[in-house]
Amino acid sequence: MGVEKHKILMVSDFFYPNFGGVENHIYYLSQCLIKLGHKVVVMTHAYKNRVGVRYMTGGLKVYYVPWVPFVMQNTLPTFYGTLPIMRTILIREQISLVHGHQAFSTLCHEALMHARTMGYKVVFTDHSLYGFGDIGSIHMNKVLQFTLADVTQAICVSHTSKENTVLRAGLPPEKVYVIPNAVDTAMFKPAQQRLCTDEIVIIVISRLVYRKGADLLVEVIPEVCRLHPNVHFIIGGDGPKRVRLEEMREKHSLQDRVDMLGAVPHAKVQSVLVTGHIFLNSSLTEAFCIAILEAASCGLLTVSTRVGGVPEVLPDDMVVLAEPDPDDMVRAVTKAIYMLPHIDPQAMHIRMKKLYSWHDVAKRTEIVYERALRCSNQELLERLSRYLACGAWAGKLFCLVMILDFLFWRFLQLWQPDEDIEIVPCLQLTRSNRGDETCDLNDNERSDGVHGRKD
Amino acid sequence: MDSENIGQRSSPTRKKWRKIAYGGMQPGYDDNHTDDSFLEDMIMNANVVKRNLLKAMLDSVSISQYICVVALVIVVWTCTLSATLNERSLMILDVGLLGSGFFVLLITVEMMSVTLLLNYVLKMAFFITGLYILSPIYYTLTRSISSDSIWSLTGSLIILHLFLHNYSGSTVRAPGALENPSLMSNVSLNASIVASLLIASRLPSRFHVFAVVLFSLQVFLFAPLVTYCIKRYSYRLHLCFSFSLMALTLALVHRLHRLIFVLLLAVFVFVNVICPYWLIRIQEYKFEINGPWDEAKLCFDIRD
Repeated sequence: MGVEKHKILMVSDFFYPNFGGVENHIYYLSQCLIKLGHKVVVMTHAYKNRVGVRYMTGGLKVYYVPWVPFVMQNTLPTFYGTLPIMRTILIREQISLVHGHQAFSTLCHEALMHARTMGYKVVFTDHSLYGFGDIGSIHMNKVLQFTLADVTQAICVSHTSKENTVLRAGLPPEKVYVIPNAVDTAMFKPAQQRLCTDEIVIIVISRLVYRKGADLLVEVIPEVCRLHPNVHFIIGGDGPKRVRLEEMREKHSLQDRVDMLGAVPHAKVQSVLVTGHIFLNSSLTEAFCIAILEAASCGLLTVSTRVGGVPEVLPDDMVVLAEPDPDDMVRAVTKAIYMLPHIDPQAMHIRMKKLYSWHDVAKRTEIVYERALRCSNQELLERLSRYLACGAWAGKLFCLVMILDFLFWRFLQLWQPDEDIEIVPCLQLTRSNRGDETCDLNDNERSDGVHGRKD
Repeated sequence: MDSENIGQRSSPTRKKWRKIAYGGMQPGYDDNHTDDSFLEDMIMNANVVKRNLLKAMLDSVSISQYICVVALVIVVWTCTLSATLNERSLMILDVGLLGSGFFVLLITVEMMSVTLLLNYVLKMAFFITGLYILSPIYYTLTRSISSDSIWSLTGSLIILHLFLHNYSGSTVRAPGALENPSLMSNVSLNASIVASLLIASRLPSRFHVFAVVLFSLQVFLFAPLVTYCIKRYSYRLHLCFSFSLMALTLALVHRLHRLIFVLLLAVFVFVNVICPYWLIRIQEYKFEINGPWDEAKLCFDIRD
């Protein structure tokens, strides 16, 4: 394994300077793939004045395509608008495989479509869960079905996510791999000294929105405070539900027992986590939940709602699960408080190191890439028949979209032949000249973490 | 997930595959391994209600009943416009309807007391006085607009009214009703009021206007309330009332116009026979999927 080196293009609307699960995943996966000797290029849309080509740690090249996001960091769907630049990048960088991330990234869907038209092998990673009931989900599922109808291999972050994706997109389950997220254990280290357990600190770090269960917190916190006089809460994060939490704090006069920190930058999360004993996650839906991993890596005992992929994330003795209902949550917190004396943060950290590593994720992803590249090439007609099977009306529409894309590509080939596109010289960025690269302080910190672990 | 702790330590041959995400790749299994536990937590058609044809047909009677009510109002409008119904008989009709409406409420609603009834009568008196004062304005309201536009606008408003009407309750809150009316039923009610004002503005005298508007508002505001109370009181009475109303409407329309009679009859057949049958037929295509990926529902109300 690893004899053949690939040239991979990662595509998603979500990337640094934005922060979140997907952004993290792409960054760490790319870093570890580069370490394995592959060439990785990231394509995303422009973030304010961050336009053009940038280099990040380890020679990770990022194309910030000048395409304006319109809602929630998503670009406006244009179907064919991205084909010229996409083609240029693919040829310039001599890409061998395209890897798209996240189901609601428009850029990702468009890029995968163009890559298939141009005959590239594509891999898609789904990071989210979707229902089947409401109009929004029905629309998203149709879009996903379109993209995945022709995807070479798909990756999901948990088994629940795999089941969901298979149902939504009608893929054969053998084509879908489960490769979870990981955590940078070198960055999330527990406190040097064990915290005193006279006062128990419960940490909550999440965006304060409905989907993250902020309303559940409003019910749970006063009850826990009433039952356990030595419990102290620290809430990090901001969002529309913050007002409700502050109201709850006023109403129950818990100002001295509930701290609200506001938004916590990702780099500061660890320093907040190490001040607590228990991490509380109240999400109503979650494909994987990296926050739990970060907390566990810092040696915190986790209490979480039993939703989505959360039960698969940690072994039973490292997490207390509860139904998303205030009474059960309070019971789980109580159970966690009694378990606390038996928890050793350092031991938990060492265990997490064995359970999760980005290098492992990269190695497993590499296998998926190899399988994808081994798949046979397909003619346009063969692929069209698969689109046609997507639905009575949608199938024909999908076919039309693909045929137009194909014609547009042929036109571009005539207009600017492949030979006329300049190829990027192969730069060997070794670890020694790392200091010369333009990268943010934050990236440096993160890369040090990755190195530290490898050595 | 039950087998979490089984096979944690060394096992004789090949470790059993587990549905977990931690601990890296499971030895001996690929990442795309799929076994029997795949989709085992999926629940299909959990919330689907089994319907039977007779029940669906009987429930659809409420719809045709209300269509009758609207058709009768339109019959009265056309009669007034063609001067076959003079203002005196219109006023008798108004008073008669008001009286019978109160009578029905008195019988069917057990919470009805004398004070509540007095309250209703007082409100009604205010309402009628206000309408009487405003009728000269309505009389000249649409003088500059042609009758064709008024008719087509009225027609579309009535269709809108029928589409958005709340057939299972009453927009005017019945005594003891639990929920508040929805936005859609309010829009529907307003459409019907505008339609009756438009029609009234085509009439020859102020007193005509007053009589017709009073009649239409009585029907559009209180007919759903009265029929709702009847339905709550006795389902059999509701059915009898509906069928006699349908017969009356068909007879009146038959005298008015042959083609419209056929159309109305077709609508009744469609609403009461074809639609329920259709609903039962498409039930078998119902495919509802639930599973662990669904967003959890909170079991308490969010108070903002």
